Amino acid sequence: MIHFDNLSKRYPGGDEALSNINLQINAGELAFLTGRSGAGKSTLLKLLMLLERPSSGTLLINGKNINRLANSKIPSYRRQLGVVFQDHQLLMDRSVFENVALPLQVAGQTRKEIGRRVRAALDGVGLLSKERHNPMMLSGGEQQRVGIARAVVHKPRILLADEPTGNLDPALSAEIMALFRRFQVVGVTVLIATHDIDLINRMKNRIIRLHQGMVVDDGGVDGTIF
Amino acid sequence: MMGVLMAQSSNARSRRGAADIKFGLIAGIRSACGHHLHTIQDSFNRLAKEPLQTIMTTSVIAIALSLPATLFVTVDNASQLGSRFESFSQITAYLASDTSSKQVATIKYQLEAIPEVKSVVYISPDQALEEFVHSSGFGSALEYLEVNPLPPVFIITPKAEPPMPDQASQLVKKIKLITQVEDAQLDMLWLQRLQSLTQIGQKIVLALGAVLGMGVLVIIGNSIRLAIHSRRQEIIVIKLVGGTDAYVRRPFLYSGLLMGLMGAMGASLILVLGFWWLGASITHLSELYGSQYRFNGPGLQGCMLLIATGGMLGLSGSWLAVGRHLKGIKPR
Repeated sequence: MIHFDNLSKRYPGGDEALSNINLQINAGELAFLTGRSGAGKSTLLKLLMLLERPSSGTLLINGKNINRLANSKIPSYRRQLGVVFQDHQLLMDRSVFENVALPLQVAGQTRKEIGRRVRAALDGVGLLSKERHNPMMLSGGEQQRVGIARAVVHKPRILLADEPTGNLDPALSAEIMALFRRFQVVGVTVLIATHDIDLINRMKNRIIRLHQGMVVDDGGVDGTIF
Repeated sequence: MMGVLMAQSSNARSRRGAADIKFGLIAGIRSACGHHLHTIQDSFNRLAKEPLQTIMTTSVIAIALSLPATLFVTVDNASQLGSRFESFSQITAYLASDTSSKQVATIKYQLEAIPEVKSVVYISPDQALEEFVHSSGFGSALEYLEVNPLPPVFIITPKAEPPMPDQASQLVKKIKLITQVEDAQLDMLWLQRLQSLTQIGQKIVLALGAVLGMGVLVIIGNSIRLAIHSRRQEIIVIKLVGGTDAYVRRPFLYSGLLMGLMGAMGASLILVLGFWWLGASITHLSELYGSQYRFNGPGLQGCMLLIATGGMLGLSGSWLAVGRHLKGIKPR
């Protein structure tokens, strides 16, 4: 599903943020991306979201080389992804429902379809009763769940998460992780960047460790840690 | 048997497929229309949310548009005033007072032979005196005159109407060459003055319109810049979830369009009220001069044109601002 082939990213005038990354993440896999701040986790996610372009190497998504994707094709590419942000990027001037509806609106779905799918997504994260609330009125964990609902409302095949449990206590973090696991079960490829070591050790999933822009450890698939 | 069944089922499937595509297209169009309507409504709501700001911007646009529009209507009226009198651009040829009636006939023949001349009317001194007595009100005073002081006159209408100034003066020269014609005058000088005045007026309208139009572009561009700035976060999120540039641009373009339209409606209101207020006085004035002249306000067509112009300016202003300021927002 996701294939990094000898991929490097060098920011202009800076060090190499990623060097010679070779990774293969299969469809329906759940993998963690970990490492210290500045190890290249964010850069890797940015490359996947096409917020940045790689300096060299190829990035294949579902067999397609996205390095060569024209700028005008970026929006339709991003609609295939679901992204959960650390700061959840919710809009505080509109309701929970409207926030979750955004990916469907930009894709030009009908109002009826939007209503149906948004309610299904909110139901999935247990926030159906709060669809009319403003995200500001919700707790940190609830806000993050709204962010997840927005990331999956359009049924993406790839779900990316950048520190999704960054500001949450362990119990809430476990809840959020359980949600991600549920999406993996239905076939979504999930990649989670985090430095919550305790949590990922409990999850027994593949762990990709980055250090200074290089993969230093790629801990097997589903439980087997090399 | 099996084959027939399979063919039937595949037929049904393909029919269903076609129906899906058809439904998909209609649903797509409906959803696009719905989205546009929703965006317009949203843009309007945002303007309504900040009434003071909106009223101020709209008034500035209205004033900026009403200035050149007022001048335009005024100049348009002046040039219409000119065209009403174009038929009066005739040449008067004064003959020597001792011209015999035989000579008059010859001169008439000569005048009619000039190719540029359309028609010739002879007014004898007696006719002229009679007319003068009737129209001037000096009737009783003129009875004391022993001799009729008025010369015989030919009124010549040129073919080209309105005649080009140099053509007309050439014609005047030709007429002057005829014996017994003492003088020939073109009654057009005042008309030429009026025409060149209205030309200057039109140029002023154009220049003022261009400058103030630019002003409107800047005003709208600035409001859109502020709107983009305050909706920065929203733009970023829309781009992150796969919104196209067109999707991001749309609400700002509609805002600009709405502002332009509302400003132009304000300008139309100013114009209609202003000319209605002024129109009565002008009509009264022209009645005092015994004229049938009626001052024309902007009219429905003029207002529609003004509103359309305002909308265009609004759309262009926001287009320029959106093009400039959206580029600065990451992600691309």
